[in-house]
Amino acid sequence: MLDSSDVDLVRRAQAGDVNAIGELYDRHQAHVFRYVWWRVHDHRSAEDLTGEIFARMVASLPDYRPTGVPFRAWLYRIAHNLVVDYYRKESGHALVSLDQVAGLSEEEDNPAAIAEHHLTVEQVQRALAGLDPSQREVVVLRFVVGLPLREVALTLGKTVVAVKSSQHRGLMALRAALKQEQT
Amino acid sequence: MRQPEELLQERLERLEAGKPLEACLAGLPEDEADLLKLAAGLCEVHYPTPDSAVVTAQRAALLRQATKEEKAMRAQSSLQMEQRPARSRPGWLLPLTAISGAIACLLICVLVTVMGVGVAWWSLQSPDEARLARGPVSEPTSESTSAVPNPQSAVLTDVRGLVEVQARAGTWAAASTGQSVVAGQRVRTGALSSVRLAFYDGSQVQAGPNTEASVDELDAHLSGRTRTVVLTQWSGETDHTVTSAGNANSRYEVRTPTATGAAKGTAFHVSVLSSLLTRFSVDEGSLAVTNLDATVVVKAGQATTVHTDEAPDEPAFRITGEGEVTQSGATWIIAGQTFLADDSTIIIGNPQVGDWVSVEARLLADGTYLADRIMLLHRTPANRFTITGRVDAIGETAWTVAGQAIAVNDETSIEDGIEDGDLVSVEGVILESGTLLAGHIRLVEEEPGLPFDFVGVVQDMAGEAWTISGITVTVNAGTEIDEGLVNGDVVQVRGWILDDGSWLARSIERVEEEEREFAFTGSVESIAPWVVAGIPFETDEWTQVEAGIRVGEQVRVKGRILEDGTWVADEIVRLDDDDEGWHFVFVGTVDSQNPWVVSGVSLVVDDETVVEGNVSVGDLVRVEITILPDGTWRVTRITPVGETGLGCLYFSAVVVGVRDGQIELLNWPPIPLDDDVQVVGEVTVDSIVLILVCVDEDGTVTIVSIIVIYPPGPAGLTPTPPTSPLPTPTPPTSPLPTPTPPTSPLPTPTMTPVRPTPPPPTEEPPPPPTEEPPPSGEEEKVTVCHKPNSKNPHTITISRSALQAHLDHGDTIGPCR
Repeated sequence: MLDSSDVDLVRRAQAGDVNAIGELYDRHQAHVFRYVWWRVHDHRSAEDLTGEIFARMVASLPDYRPTGVPFRAWLYRIAHNLVVDYYRKESGHALVSLDQVAGLSEEEDNPAAIAEHHLTVEQVQRALAGLDPSQREVVVLRFVVGLPLREVALTLGKTVVAVKSSQHRGLMALRAALKQEQT
Repeated sequence: MRQPEELLQERLERLEAGKPLEACLAGLPEDEADLLKLAAGLCEVHYPTPDSAVVTAQRAALLRQATKEEKAMRAQSSLQMEQRPARSRPGWLLPLTAISGAIACLLICVLVTVMGVGVAWWSLQSPDEARLARGPVSEPTSESTSAVPNPQSAVLTDVRGLVEVQARAGTWAAASTGQSVVAGQRVRTGALSSVRLAFYDGSQVQAGPNTEASVDELDAHLSGRTRTVVLTQWSGETDHTVTSAGNANSRYEVRTPTATGAAKGTAFHVSVLSSLLTRFSVDEGSLAVTNLDATVVVKAGQATTVHTDEAPDEPAFRITGEGEVTQSGATWIIAGQTFLADDSTIIIGNPQVGDWVSVEARLLADGTYLADRIMLLHRTPANRFTITGRVDAIGETAWTVAGQAIAVNDETSIEDGIEDGDLVSVEGVILESGTLLAGHIRLVEEEPGLPFDFVGVVQDMAGEAWTISGITVTVNAGTEIDEGLVNGDVVQVRGWILDDGSWLARSIERVEEEEREFAFTGSVESIAPWVVAGIPFETDEWTQVEAGIRVGEQVRVKGRILEDGTWVADEIVRLDDDDEGWHFVFVGTVDSQNPWVVSGVSLVVDDETVVEGNVSVGDLVRVEITILPDGTWRVTRITPVGETGLGCLYFSAVVVGVRDGQIELLNWPPIPLDDDVQVVGEVTVDSIVLILVCVDEDGTVTIVSIIVIYPPGPAGLTPTPPTSPLPTPTPPTSPLPTPTPPTSPLPTPTMTPVRPTPPPPTEEPPPPPTEEPPPSGEEEKVTVCHKPNSKNPHTITISRSALQAHLDHGDTIGPCR
């Protein structure tokens, strides 16, 4: 079966094909959850927010133009905005400790997964915590979620040049933080 | 020299393209190689995933939401075309003139009696099926089901936008959801606003934008007791869902400047199109409309209009929908269908060929469609133009802007204070004659010079000449400067490069250090090395330089400032030859490519014209033109524009046969019932169905759905009695018009009608009481076993005149056994 592009799915969804909505969800929910999880540090909240993001997507889809911003960047812009709203509403919320993060993934407790060159979620989580917020967001969108540079720029409303710079600096800071952790 | 971030990005792209990490690392400096490994490692991390049960539940909820919204959208954009939901029915936006008190004197003589006979039929269906089949009727929201305290009150629900209630004393006050109104009060809505009134007996009325109605009498007892609801609709549009009263003396009346309606269990729509014209359309049940002692019966799927001092027009099957205008004038073609327009047709928004409009029309006895209303929904991008330039001349009917004659008329919006020589922006439409007709003319703020924008480090803040990253910028009293700036701060500077070459700062703002970028425009002074507007900068292998730039040309430069203060350009592009900023942009259809002609406009396309994509004759394209000082046009860019279909229309029609997997409609070719056609409700002979037909740009006709909106049977032909003190209705003067086939490009009728005419409407005045047997003189009924297919025979009652047609397709006389 041919794999439909986002554009095809969006057009079908806009034409009233509910199954296309399901396909869009299947295609993007894991990465959207991942992005949100990195932003809110709470599994339950990330699940709830992910549901809310896709609900917002469905509601906004009639107004989305496939010829404009790529769908993924549009979707992550929704996610970004909802996370910002989340923090605005939850200002004063307690950050989840890294102990709570442990155990979220089976690999975390699997020594085999922590091989010499393999990073763990905990390691990355701790190292990212020390980054400048804008750099952290770029690193998460680029390497955790996997968006291309241009879509990160569109998601965050920045220029490609600025994102490229943040990407470089963010990786440098992350590397320094990981090295420090090892020592 | 390439910057590290560029190098890293380039290798990341290779990695993302699937090249092995080792290959991507080759030749990288150690630092960048480490970063690339780290990036690759981040991609390999096993990240947490949501709980699978949550995903399943979330997906299901999403599909439910999507289904619900899809239904709502469908209802809004199609079936509820008669109901004007705010989002899809710009009809709500109509600023209908408020009715003067004197016009109230015209409130006479028309009686609309609405039968609740459809209700019983609907109630026989399963709830879901009934709800689906009831598509045209707006469903109350949970908000609207809130309890009404007593029969003498109505509760406002679903308050949207500006809704006001007028007390008996005449003062208006903003209303809110849950507020009660009683007899003697008025309710009105503003633009983009709507409200629903819920009555004690469950009946509801939704008022659209710019609607005003008063509650005259209100005693809405539940079924079994006499229900009295009398409203006057002064303007706008209302949708009524009236519960079956079950009491012959009950009244549900809607008065308008030209009509009064009375209902007993139905769904109908009232549009006060003007102070002299009202339109009634029916979604469920039937209506007997009387004016000047003349009565017409309007059935589901039909509409009638009532002019002041005239008998109601003969009810006719209605056609509604949206589509592109391909012809206008006395005859309109909308969504591929032909409509006649006469003096009574209301045309709103001055739609032109290519524009997208909604249309409400009726099928006349001669088979033509007469448009009641054609309303502009949105302008087409085609044949639209914008032009920016100086005003050369101002006239009553024509202006000259940038050397171009621009027609103006009463609908042209012109900003105050425009004089000769001002720089203006003109938007408008290119008429078929080629005339440029202005819709809006606005002043354009003139800037003192070419704009610049860069981020740099403050080096010297002495006096009015600051030095920022080596650039001297002038600051004056008008310059907005962040407080507390000190040397060493990174700032964003925006301003203009003046004619004397100086850089005047409009604003200087502190920014995060990472955003050291710049953008400015100026004249190329040197290319090797690059100097533009006095600014030297470097390029690297990533710099995109438009080909053919020469010294002396105007260019726009974008780039970044490195930590050592070096300016590196990312992009250098030539500016258009538009010293005065004179542009002309329009969208049209390519008539010819050699030479180029777009929408009748001849274009000079040369080597410098950028033609994007594959453009062919017939394509819709956006044309960007620069008007040179000598008045000639230089086409700078031609870009394809996406297109949409011609539109979709709804036709009401009578089913005359259902057999062999296809539906036969009167004077239509058979419609095959395949999986692509959505059928809602049970389609039987004599059903009235609503057919959604969409026409693509290439003329392809698609029948999207067939929805039963009116069931067959004798009950459907029995009107409710008129309510005192309204005049005695009289029979319509002619039988129901015979539907005729739609015109090209809809399917050409090739079939011979199974029956010569549709089932006749009520030909007798509505006799009291409701739901009693038909009056004497009505056509005799015959019970037959109807066999639309071999698996589903069922008993129906038909008019005797239809008997032969049923026997012809296999039905048998008598009930099914």
